[in-house]
Amino acid sequence: MPKRRDLKRVLILGSGPIVIGQACEFDYSGTQACKALMKEGLEVILVNSNPATIMTDPEIATRVYIEPLTVSSLDMILEKEKPQAIIPTLGGQTALNLALQLDAKGILKKHNVEMLGATPKVIQAAEDRELFRNVLDQVGAKYPKSELVRTYEQGLKASETLGFPLILRPNYTLGGGGGGIAYSPDEYNIMLTQALRESPTSEVLVEESILGWKEFELEVMRDSAGTFVVVCSIENLDPCGVHTGDSITVAPQQTLSDVEYQAMRDEARKIINQVGLETGGANVQFATHPTNGSRVVIEMNPRVSRSSALASKATGFPIAKIAALLAIGYRLDEIQNDITQSTPCCFEPALDYVVTKIPRFAFEKFQGSKDLLSTQMKSVGEVMAIGRTFQESFMKGLLALEFDREGIPETHFQVDQVSYPNSKRIWHVVQAFRHGHSVQDLYNWTQITPWFLEQIFDLVVFEKKFPLEYKKNSKLSLLQAKKKGFSDARIGKLVKKSESQIRKERWSEKIHPSYLQVDTCAAEFESSTPYFYSTYHSYQKLQRTIDNQAVMIIGSGPNRIGQGIEFDYSCVRGVKAFKRFGYRTIMVNSNPETVSTDYDTADDLVFEPLTTESLLEIQKAFQPKSFVAQLGGQTPLNMAHELVDHELQLLGSSLATIDRAEDRGHFTKVCLELGLEVPKAAMASSLDTALKFEERVGYPMILRPSYVLGGRRMEVVESRSELESYFERHGEFITEDKPCLMDQFLISALEVDVDLVRGVDWTLVGGIVEHIEAAGVHSGDSMGVLPPQRLKDETCRQVEQLSIRLAEKLEVIGHLNLQLAIKNDLIYVLEANPRSSRSLPFVAKATEIPLIDLGVAAVIGKTKKELQIDKWDWKKTQTVSVKGVAFPFKKFPEADSILGPEMKSTGETMGRGTTYSEALMKAFISSSYKLPLDGEVFISLREKDKIPMLPLAKNLLQMGFHLSATSGTAQFFTSHGLACETLKKVHEGRPHCADRIRQGHVAFVINTTTGRTAIEASFDIRRACTDLNIPCLTESDTAEAFLLAVIMAKKGQFKTHALGSALQI
Amino acid sequence: MNGFLVLESGEVFSGHWHGGKNRIGEVVFNTSHSGYEEIATDPSYYKQIVVMTAPMQGNYGESNSVWESQQFWIEGFICVQIQDSQSNKSWLKKLVNAEVPVVSDMDTRRLVLSLRSGGTQWGALVSAESEAEAQKIAKSLLSQRFEIKKDWVWEVSRKKSQIQKGDNPKGPKIAVLDFGSKENILREFRTHASELHILPSRSSKAEILAVKADALILTNGPGDPADVEKSTETVKSLIGEIPVMGICMGHQILALAMGGKTYKMKFGHRGSNHPVKDELLNQIYMTSQNHGYAVKDDSLPAWVKVTHRNLNDQTVAGFYSAEKKVLGIQYHPESCPGPHDAKGLFTFFIEQLARNAT
Repeated sequence: MPKRRDLKRVLILGSGPIVIGQACEFDYSGTQACKALMKEGLEVILVNSNPATIMTDPEIATRVYIEPLTVSSLDMILEKEKPQAIIPTLGGQTALNLALQLDAKGILKKHNVEMLGATPKVIQAAEDRELFRNVLDQVGAKYPKSELVRTYEQGLKASETLGFPLILRPNYTLGGGGGGIAYSPDEYNIMLTQALRESPTSEVLVEESILGWKEFELEVMRDSAGTFVVVCSIENLDPCGVHTGDSITVAPQQTLSDVEYQAMRDEARKIINQVGLETGGANVQFATHPTNGSRVVIEMNPRVSRSSALASKATGFPIAKIAALLAIGYRLDEIQNDITQSTPCCFEPALDYVVTKIPRFAFEKFQGSKDLLSTQMKSVGEVMAIGRTFQESFMKGLLALEFDREGIPETHFQVDQVSYPNSKRIWHVVQAFRHGHSVQDLYNWTQITPWFLEQIFDLVVFEKKFPLEYKKNSKLSLLQAKKKGFSDARIGKLVKKSESQIRKERWSEKIHPSYLQVDTCAAEFESSTPYFYSTYHSYQKLQRTIDNQAVMIIGSGPNRIGQGIEFDYSCVRGVKAFKRFGYRTIMVNSNPETVSTDYDTADDLVFEPLTTESLLEIQKAFQPKSFVAQLGGQTPLNMAHELVDHELQLLGSSLATIDRAEDRGHFTKVCLELGLEVPKAAMASSLDTALKFEERVGYPMILRPSYVLGGRRMEVVESRSELESYFERHGEFITEDKPCLMDQFLISALEVDVDLVRGVDWTLVGGIVEHIEAAGVHSGDSMGVLPPQRLKDETCRQVEQLSIRLAEKLEVIGHLNLQLAIKNDLIYVLEANPRSSRSLPFVAKATEIPLIDLGVAAVIGKTKKELQIDKWDWKKTQTVSVKGVAFPFKKFPEADSILGPEMKSTGETMGRGTTYSEALMKAFISSSYKLPLDGEVFISLREKDKIPMLPLAKNLLQMGFHLSATSGTAQFFTSHGLACETLKKVHEGRPHCADRIRQGHVAFVINTTTGRTAIEASFDIRRACTDLNIPCLTESDTAEAFLLAVIMAKKGQFKTHALGSALQI
Repeated sequence: MNGFLVLESGEVFSGHWHGGKNRIGEVVFNTSHSGYEEIATDPSYYKQIVVMTAPMQGNYGESNSVWESQQFWIEGFICVQIQDSQSNKSWLKKLVNAEVPVVSDMDTRRLVLSLRSGGTQWGALVSAESEAEAQKIAKSLLSQRFEIKKDWVWEVSRKKSQIQKGDNPKGPKIAVLDFGSKENILREFRTHASELHILPSRSSKAEILAVKADALILTNGPGDPADVEKSTETVKSLIGEIPVMGICMGHQILALAMGGKTYKMKFGHRGSNHPVKDELLNQIYMTSQNHGYAVKDDSLPAWVKVTHRNLNDQTVAGFYSAEKKVLGIQYHPESCPGPHDAKGLFTFFIEQLARNAT
């Protein structure tokens, strides 16, 4: 069937904020789909609550809504926009579940909207574990013995029949959420309760263990005529037991014979036909027994996914784009392969390289959480690397993680770090070989398929022999080392030379990588797509004409807490702007989830680790004239010095400017010269020196070691005893060269983010985001509002002026992000980032000013006149926008949800409204807060919050909530005439307040605490809330904002607003 | 030890020599991700040096159970890396023990680009100290190529006929003209047939008819179909008398026997991912392919319809005539290696042509 002529207007659902298990990949797939459908002449309505996405840029779709992904807001949007169809398969589990709800509640029928790509029946057949098992029975596929459990009692029975260990898989959850592996009845009983709660349908599949089996995934597509292709096969290096999102994976599969592989392919085809998936993409996961080869099906997803994004990047086959075209009626044979431009899309890509994906974790951010991997996804980002051999791609992948320039540095070997899957296991595997352990030993500990272990073992053998080989024939041995993926830094370490010495030697021997094309067909057909990877296994000349005026844009690498999709937004938008100004662009990045690594974003895409070494090679091969370091976050900024040293021209702010802004000493000096206030500060390399500065800085103060990202080990200290405790706990990270930074903590100060752009003769403040939480909460974790609601107009004007003066003094060209604190009308400068920021996409969407485009205009020297800068004024913004925050606490059972100076959030949302309360309400809803309309509010307050919170408590009572509190707070409330029930604190014996929360009697919790002891004592309260999805507000300001949102929700009325027209210069 | 591939054009590629004898062959590339054993034992690769574009070979060891014939037919095996596995049976050792030259660490990407742009050519795979030495050895080896006999099909065909019992006692009796058959073609037909009579490629019309079969199968095989004169004549005389299905070489000979023409392709089709549109069963398959020659589009008689096309380049991938009961399939519905998508064609042939024959 060719394209359906009747379809004119479709709605695409996005996936909401970035959370563990759902990241940039859905921005990639949604953006691709929008582009494809718009090109087909359709009108596309896009709904997503995440402002940091490219897909929510107004020009991506006909109409863009940054609104909550809920039934009521969709009901309104459908009413207003009247699309004929909705595509639910591009926005992950969020979109799929929402579409099911819309269907179940009759909303789709009401608006006469058709579901494209997957029908409710298909979604259920694939996602409902019981229905899915019926499908498997019908096609004769095997699956692990299991029982579907709906109650705790059923669950207990199931464990008796199935035996331990057991795997728990809740229905309809994301990234294995709420699931896990139980080895003993005790563990099982706890996990079962949690799993039942996490499943929206209260159903959990309890499954016999297939731990240690080999795990595979097939990314498949099907069209309406039944044509079926496997786009990519993926093999997990980590065997079953580790969530596939947390596994190192390899494409194409490496260790199945053709017979085994084809049988798997046949089964995948039967399954998707039986499930009834008519068109689109899906993935099917399998496990095979390591020795007897028997095969079971683990699950299937009838939608594009994280792995389909990986498969698209790994093969050059754009799954999401094709899925969108199939959904509107095309067949695979009617769509041309973009890459070859001569063959159709009904084919299976042939790869002449190996792709490795490696996850990146953030356990260190969640104090107390155990670094152990299981069936519940924990990683926050991933890298992909392409090499001609497994070794080359694996080693490149490790470098792309940006942990260590050596890739496989020596580490302190521990057996339990190998035998228990954890985020650092792979380095311990390498180290185990260095310590003389055999492939068999490692297999016994890990059940990693021996083929992979042999490959890694071979790297270690090579490493051992290397120094001698290098002495004998340095040229040959260097080439061999490069072919095996060893970085210059690691080679240097092996022969006791510096990285730059090795690089010099290598260059003098003319050892450079070749850049080969990712062409979907192993060179069988001609292809002109400019998608490249480097390898030392080839001498092929670059098949691309060189443009020595090109600009290289360095991406932001793997998502991590503090550096994620916001910077991909900046890069992609930047690429587009450069193109519009007539520059050829070269995009370099290592993150397969992103839009920036789509082959049709930049003129050239080079998929490489973001290391100095690889960028210098790209420079030699592609010969760009200049590079941009201010779009990809901290990663490119950190490399700017070395690249400039190699005569690459840095666009925008100079190195000197970067240093002035980033170096604390320099920066303070600049501020003082301008007469600006900065918090009192000192540096101490020991407790003794710290005590000397105690008085100068004063309590409370913020302590942190130097050179930390995202506020690692950053703590607010209120007294001398806490100061001593800090040095006791973190002393090992504090030395003479890396002293502890002590800063005055501006208690209760109002914090703001300022994003501005400065050109040759102009500076434009893009906006001021007022933080909702007071100073002390990391800016990435605090909610924010634009325009500011509490800041006085006069102060606002001062902030703008001060920012402009600072930008001028620093001689910024391009972006500058400032963090300021306001206390008693005094403005303190906290931090300056000479680059695009995390808050920038939010500001751009809130103010509808194309800040990235202006940043690009600035760095290429456009003048005020050319740009008519005066036409942009953020203060003219009519709507109120609130930034909401998404946290991953649920995934880290031992972690505390209290907010502090260390960033913990993974994603953000945006609520747009005509009033502050409307915007707040939407932001909370989009960040998955339930807004309760009645019930019990449990309150436990630190002393300083009691009086200020009194009106709020009264308000709650008037609204019909009733109050409960721990003794101190309860006494305080009663003495002020408020009815309040007293609950025991956790240490006062049971039943205590946390029990009350866990019993499900509490609608929401306000719990403010300071000081380490108090924080530890109230941990159980917050954890109970996290486990039960009960809103827990840990700052008084957040509580007040939350109340506004609840009041708004009680009114039950809100409107949805489409974004304005295209943001262009 | 250094290994060299010296192409007739003079281009030289170097790599790591693992063993085997110096040999010559037509250098062809295959893009399948898996299936190295099936490929190396497929008689259609007679006199060919195979370049695997998938860089990692030998990963899953070896097992005779998937062999497509009793021996290796390839003249050389080239890839980027070959696993000399400790834990599995070693594919590398198996090849080297059979004196098949194996060279890894070769820049196969550049080699494939060269074959793609310049077309298939002959080459010598040799071990040598230096490139100059390799060229010398190669020169003398390559001069022998013109001494190789034509009709390669006869070189690989069974010389004695053989009877195999089928799995379906009620199924038709099938005669197979062995042009270098892959085991799996026979296996597929055994599941449908009561008996298979496998005959040498140069069997006469009388010998074939003496079998009293319900249908005749022409198998895959190596080389240029135009060189297979005797068999073509025989098939020509049988068209209309007995239902005939030709696969790959069989398809080409069937086309020649019907008066059609074949031609040598620039670099052929070898892989497991070629899309074919089948108008007969109205499906699109991912197919397993291995051919260097093809049937000329407009050369076929009017009574036969081109029913299968390769969607990558629109070349003829199959034809059919219900009236004369002929079915030609250029690709490999029997897979091995490759997808099983086109397997339904065996049933189709048996149901539509072979069963209705008597």
